[in-house]
Formats: sequence, C-alpha cells, structure tokens
Amino acid sequence: MVRTEDFNILVIDEDPDRAAIVERGLVESGYTRVARIGTSHNLVERIQALAPDIIIIDLENPDRDTLEQMFQVSRAIARPIAMFVDKSDSSMIHEAVAAGVSAYVVDGLREDRIRPIVEMAISRFNVFDQLRRERDEAKAKLNERKLIERAKGILMKEKGLTEEDSYNLLRKNAMKQNRKIYEIAQSVITAFQLEF
Amino acid sequence: MGNKVRLGFVPLVDCAIPVVARAMGFADQENIELELVREMSWAAIRDKLSYGVYEAAHLLAGIPIAARLGLGGVPVQHLVVPMALGRGGNAITVSTRLYQRMLEADPVSMHGPRGLSARALKKVIDEDRASGRPVMSFATVFPFSSHNYELRYWMAAAGIDPDKDVNIGVIAPQRMFDSLRNGWVDGYCVGEPWNQRAVFHGDGVIVALKDDIWSRSPEKVLGVRQDWVDSNPDMVSALVRALVRAAEWADEPGNRAELAQMLSEESNVGAPYDVLKASLDGRPVLRPGEAPIEVPDRHVFYRYTATFPWLSQASWVGAQMKRWGQVPASTDLNQVIRQVYRPDLYRTAVKGLDVAVPAHDWRVEGTNGADDRAFVGPDSFLDNSVFDPDLT
Repeated sequence: MVRTEDFNILVIDEDPDRAAIVERGLVESGYTRVARIGTSHNLVERIQALAPDIIIIDLENPDRDTLEQMFQVSRAIARPIAMFVDKSDSSMIHEAVAAGVSAYVVDGLREDRIRPIVEMAISRFNVFDQLRRERDEAKAKLNERKLIERAKGILMKEKGLTEEDSYNLLRKNAMKQNRKIYEIAQSVITAFQLEF
Repeated sequence: MGNKVRLGFVPLVDCAIPVVARAMGFADQENIELELVREMSWAAIRDKLSYGVYEAAHLLAGIPIAARLGLGGVPVQHLVVPMALGRGGNAITVSTRLYQRMLEADPVSMHGPRGLSARALKKVIDEDRASGRPVMSFATVFPFSSHNYELRYWMAAAGIDPDKDVNIGVIAPQRMFDSLRNGWVDGYCVGEPWNQRAVFHGDGVIVALKDDIWSRSPEKVLGVRQDWVDSNPDMVSALVRALVRAAEWADEPGNRAELAQMLSEESNVGAPYDVLKASLDGRPVLRPGEAPIEVPDRHVFYRYTATFPWLSQASWVGAQMKRWGQVPASTDLNQVIRQVYRPDLYRTAVKGLDVAVPAHDWRVEGTNGADDRAFVGPDSFLDNSVFDPDLT
C-alpha cells in the first residue's frame, strides 16, 4: 500500500506560473514527491523516468492526445492509467472540466486517496484563474485611465478647456450616448487624429 | 438563450463546414446562435462535449465510437453522430531525408501508384534493421483517428508491421510540422494544412494522399450528446440543416478562394492563405519546389454524400479498431455503431430539402465503378479490397 506522501505526482503545464501554484499547494498539503514539466518532445521517456501515480495536466494541453495514446499502449509505461479513479463520480469530473484540469491516475488507486489531490489541483487552477482575471482587469483599467488622460489633454489644447471642464464634457457625452467615458475618450482621440 | 449552440473545433481545413455555417449566415437562417471555439487537442474537445461545455463538436470519426465503448481509459460517454463533416484532406508526409532514402531504395515503387509507396519504406526499414539502426518514428493525431487507420493500412499493405517495425505515436495536428522539422518524427499522417505546410517549407514530401489509400474513408463528424439529442430534437435538425447548407456552399469551386480567406484567419485555422488555397483548389504540391498536381477531390465537403453518416464507414472504423487490437476481436460492434451513428437524424433533418440521400444506411465499400459511383464518389482501396460491413 502506497502511503499518501509517497505518491509520485506529476504536473504537466505549459504555464510555469500555474504549475508552480499547483505544486506549492500539493507540497503544503504534505505531498512531497511532486514533479513538474512544461511541454516536452520526449514526453514518453520523461514520464517513464518519473513513474507518476497521478498526472495533473491542464485540460487544453495538446500533449493530452499524446498521453492518452501512451496509456493505451501500456508497454510504453509501467502501468496502465485511467482518467479519474472512480468512473461513476461525474461531479468531480464536471468540476475539473470547468476549472480546466484533467487528471490521469494509475489504475487501482482508491478514490478517497486521489480525490484530495484532484480537488487541490482544481482549487489552485481556480485561484490562478482569479489572479489572472484580476491582473487583466487592472491592466484594462490602467489603459482606460490613460485614454481619458490623453483625451483630456487634446480637449485642453484644442478647445482651450480646463482639465475639469474637459472631463465633464467627456462624462456628459458618455451619459448622453449611454457609453463608457473611456469609449468617448477613444472617439475624441480618433477624431483629432483624423484631422491631421 | 434557448437556441445557442457552442461548437468546439480543431484548426484543420475540415473545420470549414461549421466556420461557413456561422460566417455565411446558414446558422442564422435556422435561428441558431452558433458560437465556435477553437481547441488544440482532441481530448479537450471530447471532454468538453461530454461534460456539457459544448453542445456540439467537430470530432474524429472514431472518437464517438471509442467513447461509447469507454476505450482509452476514459469513462463511457454517450455521444451521437447525426452527420459527417466532409471527407477531409489527409495525407502521409515524410521528411525530405526519408523521402530520399525511399527513392534510392526503391525507385520503381516511388514512381508507381502513391498508395503503394510504402513498399519503398519497407526496403528502408529492412536496411535499417540489417545495420542495427533504431526503428523510425511516425505520428498520427489520435489513437481513434482515420489518420491512424490510414497510415497503418498503407504500411500493412506493403508488409510493414506498424506495431513492431516502426513507432507510431500521437502528436496534436498543429505540432506535427515542428516535430518533423526538428527530426523528432520521420513521417506523419495528418489533415491539411499540416502536410502542405511541410512541403511549402521544404521540410517534407507527401508520399500518399487520402485518395490514394481509400478515398471514401470517414473523416470528421459532428458529435453531440445523446441527452442533448433527446431533449432538443428540433435543434439537432436545425443544426444539421445549417451545416449541410454550409457544406454545399464550401463545395462550390467558386467559393473556395473566399473559404481559404476565411480559414486563414487566426481564429479559424490560422495558416497562410496560399497553403490553404492550393489545398482547397485540389492542386496540392507534393514535393518542395515542384508544380502542383491536379486532385479535384482533394477536399470534398458536400458532393458524394460527404455529409451523410454512413453506417458502413463507421463499421470500417470499428473493423480497424479490432484489427489493431484497440477492442477485442470478439466484440459485437454492430449495435454500438447503430447507437452512435444516426442516419435517421440526418434523414429527418433534411427531409423536404433538395439534399440527395442514399436509399440505404450502408453499402459494401470499395466497390469502385459500381452503379452508385456518380452518387457516392470514387471508392477504391489501395489494395483493391472490398469491405462488406455485414450490418444486416
């Protein structure tokens, strides 16, 4: 019987930041034997060498097609591997698919021992997703602010308005047209660029 | 909300039918809000379809059968095929280096019919074995793909054992070309544009086209879930009609330039226009720097019943699964095939439209020159064999 901490877990992910987040989560939960690889052309050899009990791989990774064939030709690795241990448990699979996680598990491992690992991966994928969304939103906000600043600058220079009046003009038009201020700012920038 | 269909596809020329259905308004005409999502792996498409992220998918013909059988270590999925998505445009490409070796080893076979070019490969394999070299590596796109079965058929007909004499691995389509270029594989079988691309870059030579192996071999299909079919029968019909109309449009030679343009967009196939155009025009270039050859049936989307989900084509896929040990030879596949392939759904959908449908759901395959040739298209296997699906 393999003890939990003796599981060999392999994380395959082209995104090194996400792989690191998943790895850290697993290590903090007491799984010490965690390896991670990005994409690799000698995937078969790497996996043979690492002999993982569980493989966590992002759902969209093109290497999954390669992996599935390896598992079918069971000579390629020591033991055949199945996707998720308990085939009847579709709720976890749903959760995993929604989070973009897929897992391959050595046949015969008990579900209760696999579940916490897959759940950890799912929660870490979700955390990563959240972080990425926040980062993207912050970036978008910054860009919107820059657009508004530029449009204000144009209005001050071309129309002789004060900074406050320029902003109010943008805001008034946004309200009137039911659009965002940065969209009006973009129109102002485009309009003045056209005149040159 | 109620008429939204999310459809996953892989960037290959044969994603044309769903792309056209959306871009040219055929989906709109059926009151379907078609959303297309590009995927980079067959496993991802299969899983997202199975677990409800998508309602429909561009799938390899073997995937729904394998899913119903629970093959490949994946839980059983009840997927259904209401129509086929054309006859694809597969080819076998080898590295320029291997091509030179094949040419030297057996110039006669290399100048004969392309379907028999594996005879030259056999000689190269024999040379390698005599001098103790490691076996060569080939790739296809998925274990249950027509590419895998076509490559194996081509090899086996020349006396090559695909399980012993070579390594056959799996690489996602868009990674094939780099793998060949970097020398990780010696050859592959994939759909366009990934053959033509290797030729245009001078890294590969096409040694056999799908037409040379078996022109009627099944390729991509429309995959949907059984439960979705059961609860949305009208939507299934509407989707099939939109896709059949799109296939008709895509088949029109006069629309091929526009189609190449559409497919070249990054959100679709994202390959250069010239590469796509050459392939879609039926003028593939087989060897770097040479003039194109004329293969009018290189990409068939509609004519020759290319959208009809023939039970006999599914049966051939099943027979290949048995031949190569993916399912035990004793498995009775006829029932599974009838559950998965649903020509009845196709017939219902196109009823009353000007779409020609065959009188029967299956036929004896490989009977080139039989009296239905004008209707079903050229139909010969490279070894002139005949496949009787025995679905009675």
